[in-house]
Amino acid sequence: MAASDTAIIQMHHVDKHYGQLHVLQDINLDVHKGEVVVLIGPSGSGKSTLCRTINRLETIDSGEILFEGKPLPQEGKELAAYRAEIGMVFQSFNLFAHKSILDNVTLGPREVLKTPKDVAEKEAMELLERVGVAEQAHKVPAQLSGGQQQRVAIARSLAMHPKAMLFDEPTSALDPEMINEVLEVMVELAREGMTMVVVTHEMNFARRVSNRVVFMADGQIMEEASPDEFFDHPKTDRAKDFLDSIRGH
Amino acid sequence: MGVGEVVAEFGGVYVQSLLSTWLMTIVCFLGGLALGVLITVMRVSPIKPLRVVGDFYVQVFRNIPTISLLVIFVYALPYLGLLLEYRACLIVCIILVVSSFASENFMSGINAIGVGQIEAARSVGLSFVQIVRLIVIPQALRTTVLPMTNLLIATLLTTAMGSQVPLTPPELTGMVNYVNARSVAGISAFVVSAICYAGTALVIGFLGNKLDKKVRIVR
Ligand SMILES: Nc1ncnc2c1ncn2[C@@H]1O[C@H](COP(=O)(O)OP(=O)(O)OP(=O)(O)O)[C@@H](O)[C@H]1O
Ligand SMILES: [Mg+2]
Repeated sequence: MAASDTAIIQMHHVDKHYGQLHVLQDINLDVHKGEVVVLIGPSGSGKSTLCRTINRLETIDSGEILFEGKPLPQEGKELAAYRAEIGMVFQSFNLFAHKSILDNVTLGPREVLKTPKDVAEKEAMELLERVGVAEQAHKVPAQLSGGQQQRVAIARSLAMHPKAMLFDEPTSALDPEMINEVLEVMVELAREGMTMVVVTHEMNFARRVSNRVVFMADGQIMEEASPDEFFDHPKTDRAKDFLDSIRGH
Repeated sequence: MGVGEVVAEFGGVYVQSLLSTWLMTIVCFLGGLALGVLITVMRVSPIKPLRVVGDFYVQVFRNIPTISLLVIFVYALPYLGLLLEYRACLIVCIILVVSSFASENFMSGINAIGVGQIEAARSVGLSFVQIVRLIVIPQALRTTVLPMTNLLIATLLTTAMGSQVPLTPPELTGMVNYVNARSVAGISAFVVSAICYAGTALVIGFLGNKLDKKVRIVR
């Protein structure tokens, strides 16, 4: 869990608009190797957008984003190769509907990394074992529960040996009883030193594993603090209001 | 002449014309599918001019009666120094029309895929071409079996346009002219052709349903 000093992801003065809407306003954020950063904030504050600019699923208007000190590739082969190094887990799992669970996990390694089939399958089975869905390997996504699908999605990302992982509300679409099984996998990943940017409202998760909480509102980073400090002593009124609202006060 | 007599006298040529209809249907449908995939890839590509051309193509060939297209091909193209055989004209015309409908089917299949899977594929590092080949086309094909089955039947029926140009052997509808030019069969010649069309369409429909059940993607 110990984060190093090397910033693996750096965002400098990043701005983005959707038409008139200024969704990201002068965002400055460094994520260090092995660090777990939790992004939190009200709906529409720009958390997903920020998360998605890091693997360039969203482009930015100005400013710069560096990964391992180098600006993100703009497009083409270089961009695809860069994305292969960053795992991404979505709220809605987004498994490939026509492929078996096993093929979901092996597709990237086989097509992008050119890993031989038997090697890719062996490794995929180990990953599926690790996230606890090995018995489902030959089913298709629709036959799995949401929690199982999300764990497969994590395994699919891990199969690429990512240098960092992005999670955009990975448990928000899950029934309450399935949230923990997914969070446990994420906790384990954090313990192993994975660099993670996690958009989530799971306060327990944030407290247990994150190194830093970044609070966003209206496209701006309003506050950055350790989880204990943020949850116990929020500085801004926006953060106080927000925490009250999610705690149901 | 009754139906029985028509079959007795012209059975051999009927078999030929049925085979000719089947062959044209298969060629036009497969050609239309292949071209339809290409047009669809253009329509979803990140390159704007390709998208515009693809959309325009579909608007043109979906909205012109095949018979008009055939007239243009047969009578107008020779003025441009392009002389195609009748059968080739017919096949090309039908392929153009079928491909535009196939592309519309594919587009609806693609819309059913959802942007999430595409984003997941991009996040894994797949290129545009890989995503199209590995995710989009397989899913679009598998979700459009029923509309494509209908299109195959429509293709079969459209080959009746072949009765408007001289073909040897004639296809099923041209066969009616062929018979009537040689004897007084009247409606019976139509009935035999109609039975052949309907029988073929029933088989296509049955197989299409089976295939759909087998490959349909559960979501
Ligand atoms: N593709 C888009 N086009 C136009 N506006 C968009 C687009 N995507 C997001 N927005 C808007 O940008 C703002 C920020 O969206 P974003 O999804 O980043 O918020 P969020 O913090 O993730 O919210 P939530 O908690 O609801 O997921 C919202 O007002 C949203 O409506
Ligand atoms: Mg969001």
